This record gives sequence, structure tokens and C-alpha cells, in this order.
Amino acid sequence: MSDPRAEPTAAEAPARHDLLPAAVDPTVFDEAFLRQLERLMLVTRKAVRGGMKGVRRSAKRGVSVEFADYRNYTIGDDLRTLDWNIYARLEKLFVKLFIEEEDVTVHILLDASGSMGLGAPDKLLFGKRAAAALAYVGLASYDRISIAVLQGRVARRYPAVRGTGRIFQVLADLSSVKAAPGPTDLAACARHYAAQLTQRGPLILISDLFDANAERAISELAGTRCEVAVLHTLSPDELDPPLEGDLRLLDTESGSGVDITADLATMDAYRARLTAWQAGLDAVATKRRAAYVPVPTTLPLADLVFAELRRRRVVA
Amino acid sequence: MPFLAPLALAGLAFIPLIVAFYLLRLRRTERTVSSTYLWQQLVRDLEANAPWQRLRRSLLLILQLLLVAVLVLAAARPFLERTAGLARDLVLVVDASASMGATDVFPDRLSAAKRAAIEALAGLPADGRVSIVAAGETARVVANEVTDRGRAADAIEGIRLSNASGDLGDALKLAGALAARARGAEVLVVTDDASRHVPEVRLAVPIRVLTVGRERRNQAIVALAVQTGAGGVKRSLFVSVANLDTQAATRRLQVLADGAPFTARDLFLDPLTRTEVVIDELPQGTAIVEARLTAVDGAAGPTGPADQLAADDAAWAIVPSDRLQRILLVGPGNVYLQNALSLLPNVELYGVSGADYAKTTGLEKFDLVVFDGFLPPTLPDKPILAIAPPRSSALGTVTGTLTGPYIATPAPDEPLLHDVDLTRLHVATAQRLELPAWARTVIPGPKQVPLLYVGAREGLPTAVLAFDLHQSDLPLQIAWPILVANLSGELLGRDASTLHPIAPGAPVELLLPPGSAGMRVSAPDGSATELVPGATGASTVTFVGTGQLGVYRAEPIPAAPEPLPSGATPSPAPSPSPSPSGSEAAAAVGPVRFAVDLFDPEESNIASGDGARLAALGGPPAAGGQAGIARDEWWIPIALLALLLLLAEWLVYERDGARRIVGALRSAATLRPFRRGRA
Repeated sequence: MSDPRAEPTAAEAPARHDLLPAAVDPTVFDEAFLRQLERLMLVTRKAVRGGMKGVRRSAKRGVSVEFADYRNYTIGDDLRTLDWNIYARLEKLFVKLFIEEEDVTVHILLDASGSMGLGAPDKLLFGKRAAAALAYVGLASYDRISIAVLQGRVARRYPAVRGTGRIFQVLADLSSVKAAPGPTDLAACARHYAAQLTQRGPLILISDLFDANAERAISELAGTRCEVAVLHTLSPDELDPPLEGDLRLLDTESGSGVDITADLATMDAYRARLTAWQAGLDAVATKRRAAYVPVPTTLPLADLVFAELRRRRVVA
Repeated sequence: MPFLAPLALAGLAFIPLIVAFYLLRLRRTERTVSSTYLWQQLVRDLEANAPWQRLRRSLLLILQLLLVAVLVLAAARPFLERTAGLARDLVLVVDASASMGATDVFPDRLSAAKRAAIEALAGLPADGRVSIVAAGETARVVANEVTDRGRAADAIEGIRLSNASGDLGDALKLAGALAARARGAEVLVVTDDASRHVPEVRLAVPIRVLTVGRERRNQAIVALAVQTGAGGVKRSLFVSVANLDTQAATRRLQVLADGAPFTARDLFLDPLTRTEVVIDELPQGTAIVEARLTAVDGAAGPTGPADQLAADDAAWAIVPSDRLQRILLVGPGNVYLQNALSLLPNVELYGVSGADYAKTTGLEKFDLVVFDGFLPPTLPDKPILAIAPPRSSALGTVTGTLTGPYIATPAPDEPLLHDVDLTRLHVATAQRLELPAWARTVIPGPKQVPLLYVGAREGLPTAVLAFDLHQSDLPLQIAWPILVANLSGELLGRDASTLHPIAPGAPVELLLPPGSAGMRVSAPDGSATELVPGATGASTVTFVGTGQLGVYRAEPIPAAPEPLPSGATPSPAPSPSPSPSGSEAAAAVGPVRFAVDLFDPEESNIASGDGARLAALGGPPAAGGQAGIARDEWWIPIALLALLLLLAEWLVYERDGARRIVGALRSAATLRPFRRGRA
């Protein structure tokens, strides 16, 4: 079995840059940043069953070096697991049990609805970068990375990958993601993904949550018993819209309009409503044991990963 | 607050219309956002608050809405009620006589009286009606049972000052008749109560009096006459000036002859006295004399400014014509008649017996032929005075003889009997004459049989006296020469010199010269009035437009040379004797002048009274009468507020231009001292 931390071969090196999506600034993922990402690990508070050997404690008992428990010997047990010291003292056969170390599947759900395509900086681009960074953290931790794009009413999954060498595939997959025109039902997408989910693990939802069913989407994802983290991505012009005067606001997804008169009172009301909305989402997430991380798109990616997500115990 | 026109409040529907227009007018900028999810959650609050936020932001819209609301409020005519001070039916009498032109109150008494009358109408109940009588030269109803205050105010404002002497008696009688139509009516008189004459009238309705006027500073010309000396050549002017003030005054009397200054004298006028001035030797050929009272400039003493009534500070008189007039007396000889006729100024008297009349030549040179107890077979085409005509003729039909006829009451305004006292006249016998159609009775006898009548016979002035002078004591009385003088004036063409000064508003009867279709009368202000006779064959026309003071000029209108169709303007009857054509004859007759003067000391006395004498002429208030409710409308201040709002709305709308104007003014203000410094 090859070392999952092995560097890509020289033959793969040229392809690394070719696969680097143009939409992802290569300077962001420079070598130093990648080295820093490799030191991180996505936090899983519970041991879950994995699929392959990894570095995370599994709920299964295995053959690792970490002692877990004893049990009585039964015929057929591997004699190599007998604790002969116990037998010497007690003249009874006990088998030593060890903790199994497996990988986990990290689910990264990227909202690619039409609303994510706007903002300055672009929310979808920011989401791609965050997804790429978290995916690299997972790949560096020998975890399986499963990326899904939420559009319309479905969650379009990309094949799960494992190993840092697959980061370019991840980047390629992410670079192909475009904001979808038309409305997106976030709850339906979450339900669709939950139905496909077979292995639990950290689940990271990157979305602006501009959906009336956003709370239901969080609940749906939390219902999978994955450790859910919601990166609520909002651009500055959504946090503090630079609006003034009599305006007709057109929804980029539905095309419907809302007539407003953007004066100080209206903007104050909007900000109050935004704060209440975020507080409500936070409350729902907390209630469902999920982490809610409001993220402005102006936040540098390094600050997001190394500060904000660490503070929120999403990565460690 | 109640409204007179509450339906006008429906105009408030314009407010949402304006708001709708405002909203429709709104041009929204479309802005694509990632999601309207949060905005939609706010939209209910926004929809609830946005219009008011816009209203708060748009001062222009707020002003427009306020303007509509205020206009609607004004159209609804809000009012407040209070107890009315006047009866429901009011007859308002406004004195417009000459004394109301006094300027002791600004601008004059009539204007003050109008203001007082209009203000008094505020005390009328809401359903009150007002009739308005203007007491000028005649009493005239200018508004009858008007309920609209605006129309009543217009009618009051339309009352014009009359130069005539006012007689409130007629106005009060008329007001009493108007007030008698409704129960509980009252009469309100607005006057200066300057007349000492108390009207002889009693009204059943109560009379209230509002008086105007404070002072009595007035000096007046109360008489002006031109007297001709015995020789008929020298003419002297007689002027009587009255000081009706309680203080002495010095005034300058200016005399103008045909518009040119002739002489001037300063008069010291004692209080409440009359001063007579005689000015001899008027310039030859003077036709019109005008006398004026003016202030004395620089003179010592209590001169003071000009008095407070201008109408009586000027007077005019017509100078008798210098032309010598010839009278032919036909008869056996009558010393009374000869003496009376010879005393007439500018008259040459010729005499001939009846037998020699047929031989007389040059009849066309005479201006008047007097037949005393004689009538020729053919009457001359000249003015005729016939005394005791012996037989029927064109002058009248003799039907018999009257023995000891008494004198009936003559018409009080008969001009020929001016200053003629007939109360002691006795007549022994007289001819019984039938009054011709062209004549009017001057001295009536028993059963309306005329003892003296005059008229225009075929356009020729004619007078017939029914009795011989020897059969009466008339020649022995003072009335005789006066009557002859008056008759001669009538018969000698009724020249202006024979006319007495005419009071303002009095009618003037003008004789139509032969061949004239009418008379054109020019007033002192230059306006002309054409008078045509009302019936075919009429010999006189009556002019009633003597409201202005001054000299009037009446000219005959020549008849058209072509025969007029029937029904057209009547022309004089054709003369049986050869004479110039009608139009030529009319052109040959010169214009007639007459003067209209106030000459009324009673009216010139502008000392105002307290109205108590007039109020005493009214009856007691109606028993059981309830005070009505008066309404004070508020639309005027509301309309002013609307104007202010309109101005503010315009300023807001044009605020950029207003700022530029203010900036230009400021810059101009800052440049001004700089220019001075450079200078």
C-alpha cells in the first residue's frame, strides 16, 4: 500500500498546473499554504465506521497498536492476539482488542445556485476556494472527499476521491461548477444528498442559504448524523447593501422583483432582519449540533481555515 | 365645524389620486441582487411604511396634498355660527346724496357708508334676505331680497354718489313698502343724517341708523345769477357764498368768463352766515360764467385747506343772450301788458291795432306776436301769446264764457309759475277754451278748464291766456310781471338765459325747433345723449340725465332731407307758410345751454347727525321675534392659506432657480460696496 502522503510524481507535476482551474487563483494554493493545510485535520467528535484504513479511530475494533479492551478467547480467534501475560497470571485466555483506524468520508456540499454567482467577491468562487482548501485538508488526512454541487432540486455528486494526489481532480471538478440559472430548492437538494449518503463523516455545507427552506436543509443534513458545519457565505453587498433611492430589486434566481425605497430606515430594517435571520440559522444549527460559521467573502481564505474554522472546531 | 357645501369634501378623493400619480410617476432603478429573500420578508413593512416614508421625504408631494386638502376645505365653506344682530328680512337704505361726498372721513362718506353697510350685513342671519335702496336723486332699489352676501355687497358697491339733494323720505317710504312684505323686517339706514329736514313718513317697522361723518367744514356757493341792467347792456353777477361751518373761514372766489379767469376775490366768511357778492360789468359776449371757491394760498387767518365737500364749490350760470328780440303787440292797447313786456331785458316792443295788422309788413323780423283780444284770419308762423282769443282758431276752441271762475291748484312743478303767487288772483270773466292736444295747462280753472295754457303748436311756442287782463286783478299783482317774464322766456325760444338753474337730477324739457328730428345733449364730461320725441308731432323732448354739475349743451338734430317712411322718427308738422326747409331751419337754430347747480344750503350743510330723528320714524320691534343665527364663513383665510401653500409649492419646485436668484442678489449686494469703494 502506497503512502497516501506521497508527493505527486514528476509525471503528474505538469498536469497539476494544467488542471488548476483558471477560476481558482493558483497563488492562493501555493506550496506554503498547502503545507499549512496538511497540518490540519477535519474534526470528528465521534468515531465512525470508515471504508478503508486511515488515521481516524473507527468504531470497529481492528489491528492498530492502540489497545482498546479484552475479551474471552473463543475458538477461532487469532492466537496472536492472546495476552499471554494475563494467561500466566490468571491461567485464562483473553484476547486483546485494538482500536481500528480507518478513514472517514468528508462531505463537501457546495451551493451552486444562481444567487451564489453574485457578490463581490464572488460567493461561488469563494465557496470553491473554501471547498478546495477543506478538500485538501481532508485529502491530506487520508480521508475520502465527497464533493456535491447543489443545484435545482438535486445534489450532483462527484466521485469521491482519496489522497492528496487527487487534489487536482478536485480542483478540476470545482472549476467546472457554474452557477445555475433558475431557482434552487436547498432543502430538496439536501434531502437528495442525504438519501445518497452511505458513510457518515464531516459534512460541510457552503451556501448563502438564501432559501426559505434553509433551516430545513440544515435539519435534513443534520439528520444524517454527520457532523455538519455550515459555512454561511455572504458577500459584503449582502451584509451591508450599498442601496439608495427607489429601487426595484430583481432576484437573480426567480427574476421576481421587490420595490423598495432604500433609505436609512429601510437599511436599518434590512440589517436587523439579516442579523435575526443569521441568529435563527445559528440557533437551528446549534439545536441540531451543527456548527454555523458566518463567512463574509472578504475574509481571506487563510483566516477562514486557520482561524475561523479552528475557532469553531471544524478543523484542528 | 359645519360646512355649507359638505359635498365639496368629495374633492378629498383627489388626494389618493395625487398619491397614485406620484407613485406612478416614480421611476425605480432596477438592481439585480443575489436574492430578494430577505427583502421579501421586509416587504410587508416596507409596503406599509414606504408611502409615508416617501411622503416624509417628498416635501413637494406633502405641499400638494395639503394644497388639495385646503382647497377642498375652502370649497366646503366651513363656518361658525353666532347670534345674528339683524332681522331676517332687512331693508338697507344707503344715502347717496351730495353731502355723502364729503371727505371728512377717508375717502368719503359714501365709501365709508358702503363699508359700514357691508360690515353690517355680517349680522344678517344665515337665511336672511336683504333689499337695498339707494337714496340718491331718487330712491332706487338696487337689490331685492338678495340672500347672497356677495351679490348684496356688489350692489352696495355699485351705488354711485349723486350730486342731487337727497330725500330720505322717499327712500324710507320705499323701504317701508319693501319691509311690509315680510313679518319682523327692519330697516337699516346708512347716512350722514346731515339734513335738518325730517322726512314726513312713519314706518311700522323699526329703523336702525348707522351714521358716518365727523366734521362740518364746508363753504358753498348757494346762488349764482346774471342780472341785466335796465339798459339791457350791463350785466352783473350775483354770487351768494355760505359758510356752513361753525368757524370763520377765508376763501377765494374765482370767476371765470367762458373758461378764462375774469376776477377773484378773497372772502372772509363768518361762521354760519351767507355773504353776497356782486360783480359788475361782465365782459361783453360772455356766454357762460363759472364761479369757484378755492383755498387762499398764503393768506393770514383761518384759511385752512379746501373744504370737505367739493360739489358746491363750483357753480355755473348762463348769461342771457345779447341779441335784441322784437315783440309785436296786436290789439287795442293795454298798458299793463305794454309795461310788463317793455320791462323784459333785450326786448323791443312794437304795437299795432287789429285793424292795421293786415297791413303790417316784415312779420318775419318779430320773435313774438302778442294778440290781445284779437285774432287774425291767418296766424303768423311765429310764437304767439294770445290773450282772451275772441273766437276758435288753431290756438284753441272757444266754447263759451266763464263767469267768475276760480283758480284751481296748479301743478307744483310748473316752471312758468315759478315765484308766481296766484292765491289772490280773481277773474271776472274768461273765455271757456278747450285744451288743445299740443298744450299743457298752466293755470287751471273750474273743472279743469284752462285759464292759461302753453305748448308747441306745430313747433311754434304758443301760449293762450283765457281772460282779458281788464277782467281780472292779475295786472295789479306782483305775480304779473313775473308771469310775463316766465312766459316770454318760454315763448322766445326758451333760451338758456331764461331758465333757472336746474337742480341735479331734475328733468329738463327741451323745445324741438322746427325741422329737427331730436336733440343731442352734451353733458359736462363730454358724453352725448340723443333724444328723439316719443310720438309723431311732439314738440318737446325731456332730458333727465342731469346728474352732473356743470353746463349742458343741447343741439337740434337736423331731420333727414328725404321723406321718412311711416313709423320712422317723427318730424314736425309741415308749416303752411313758406319757410326754410326743416333741416335748414334746425341748423339755423343755435345750441341751447343750461346749467345744473347744486344750490342747496341744506345739502351743503354737512354737519352729521346722530340718526336719532330717523330712528324715531320707525316702529317698535316685532313682538316675539327670535334672533336668527348668523354664519361666519372661513373660506377667506383658508383661501389665503391655499395661496401660501401654492407659493411654497412653487418655491420648492423651483428651488434651484430661487437659489440662483438669491445667490445673484447676494453677489450683487457684495459687489455694491466694492463699486462704491472704487468710486
